[in-house]
Amino acid sequence: MNSPGASVSLVGHIALLAIISFGGVPGVLPDLRDFVVTANGWLSDRDFANCFAVVQAIPGPNMILMMSFIGWKLGGLPVAIASALVTFGPPCALSYTAFHFWDRFRETGWQQRVRRGLAPVTIGLVIAGGYVMARVGDSGWASLAVTAAAIALMLLTRINPLWLVAAGGALGGLGVL
Amino acid sequence: MSSALNEVETRPPVTLGALFVAFLKTSMYGFGGPIVWVRRIIVDERHWLSDRDFADILSFCQFMPGPNVVSITVCIGAKFRGPAGALASLAGFILVPWTIGFALGALLLSYAQTPLLQGILHGVAAAAAGLLIATGIRLLLPHRHRPIALVVAALAFGGLALAQLPLLVVVLGLVPLSIALAHPDSVSAR
Repeated sequence: MNSPGASVSLVGHIALLAIISFGGVPGVLPDLRDFVVTANGWLSDRDFANCFAVVQAIPGPNMILMMSFIGWKLGGLPVAIASALVTFGPPCALSYTAFHFWDRFRETGWQQRVRRGLAPVTIGLVIAGGYVMARVGDSGWASLAVTAAAIALMLLTRINPLWLVAAGGALGGLGVL
Repeated sequence: MSSALNEVETRPPVTLGALFVAFLKTSMYGFGGPIVWVRRIIVDERHWLSDRDFADILSFCQFMPGPNVVSITVCIGAKFRGPAGALASLAGFILVPWTIGFALGALLLSYAQTPLLQGILHGVAAAAAGLLIATGIRLLLPHRHRPIALVVAALAFGGLALAQLPLLVVVLGLVPLSIALAHPDSVSAR
């Protein structure tokens, strides 16, 4: 069903998204979902949401694992590994190189300007990532209420996020959502 | 303010093995928000960095592409031990945790169709989406007095989430605009 061409195209797209994922990987989720679910129909909306949920429920580098699972669904272990490598490899090399320059020019005006300019873009992307994941798979009002409660508790209390994830899972397991 | 200097001088040597173990631990603990755990282990537990030094690395890594926490891993490793330190930290962060996480996750995904697990995953995803949004809101708070920043963040959100534009379009369109509008001494120019 899924040709090798599809795997190559997926890994290529993940590599592209990773290298432009300013502000972190959650910002690429909307675009990735569009590419994998809407444009190519490789995964169902529910599959995509499941990959996202699973990586929140297990330890480990979660966004790298998410890319791995999408790769795995499409082309098995080799594609999973390739997806993981392109998610962190090129950005790591870039960070490593850029860090030396960053450290050297820390107090200069242009750096502060770049910092100020990039920050709001990255923040908007992160919030968009959360918004899209909250709406994935025809979420009902109960599920949106869980999302809203998680936002409020996270902002207003110092609760360990792990409890919020566990509570969401428990409510879902009880069939409330 | 001067205490930052003292901390640098009394900093214990950081070995490659210690970097590997510290980031292995960070990664294995890192449910949901790995950055929380990096701070806890590197600053509070090991005292390798002051909060200020950590915030500095964090602000750099936050807008480098790729998984933020991986950039942090590489930068902290590089800061202490150069290229070898970066590799040791990265290996600690990824090799074992990825293997365990992949095995566990693949198992869960194979049973994802069962109603119970489906319900749990649905709830986890809903809560985790909330955590992401809350993280974004928290990052936005320090910028709340800069209207331009709020507009740019709203445009980034709208372009990606509502208009469903490709990420490349949103990033290439907004980053140059946002940098052009961000004056280091913002009050004087606008």
